[in-house]
Amino acid sequence: MGATRTSPSTGTGITVAIARDPALVRTVRLIAAAVARRASQDEEFVEEVRLAVGEACALMVADPASDSGPVTVTLAVDGRLVVDVVATGHVHVDDEPDSDVDGVEPWALLRGLIDDLAIAHVGDTTTLTMSWPVRAA
Amino acid sequence: MDLSLDTRHEGGHTIIEVGGEIDVYTAPKLRDKITELVGNGEYNLVIDMEKVDFLDSTGLGVLVGGLKKVRAHDGSMRLICNQERLLKIFRITGLAKVFVIHGSQADALAEH
Repeated sequence: MGATRTSPSTGTGITVAIARDPALVRTVRLIAAAVARRASQDEEFVEEVRLAVGEACALMVADPASDSGPVTVTLAVDGRLVVDVVATGHVHVDDEPDSDVDGVEPWALLRGLIDDLAIAHVGDTTTLTMSWPVRAA
Repeated sequence: MDLSLDTRHEGGHTIIEVGGEIDVYTAPKLRDKITELVGNGEYNLVIDMEKVDFLDSTGLGVLVGGLKKVRAHDGSMRLICNQERLLKIFRITGLAKVFVIHGSQADALAEH
């Protein structure tokens, strides 16, 4: 089971867990966009969050080393928008020289998108944390 | 929103008009379409992404794979994209230098 995060007592928070089904990643993107839009009317910000969360979920769902258990995504807004993506297993979080998909290094896009990206392996889970300052429109 | 793929021929090129979201779930459909076209001997492809709402690294991988396929037959793949949010993805990944990206079908078909 993926770890979950309790929503902060102040601000806005939501947690969703999906099976490792690529068809469900879109659902998480929609939720991420809704949370981002509630935090800011800046559509560029909303689009960046949607892309980053979708990309993170896609990487977790598709990781061949961790093929069981849900991917849990927690979004919380309290001054910053903080997103945790948690998956069971030791997810590979670097692009090995031979890991590219048709010439694209999957983690390169996520690392290029997010300034504040942290990855932690604790026990049998991998947690990917991204955060953004909430921008005014 | 699912992925829509409409194909037509013009000026010696095969134009694939893509609509919707190209992601980890839908990208295989685009890969299959490109593979089918190349298998039919259609090596000069134009991918019109004006109606694409979302693109992730899986979709980028399919485009790069398609480029490799057509180049193996001395063909070409041109992209049509005016959307800044998609162009940003190509820039971040360095693929803006790999693909020829046009602003319109007219531009893509005019250039030789």
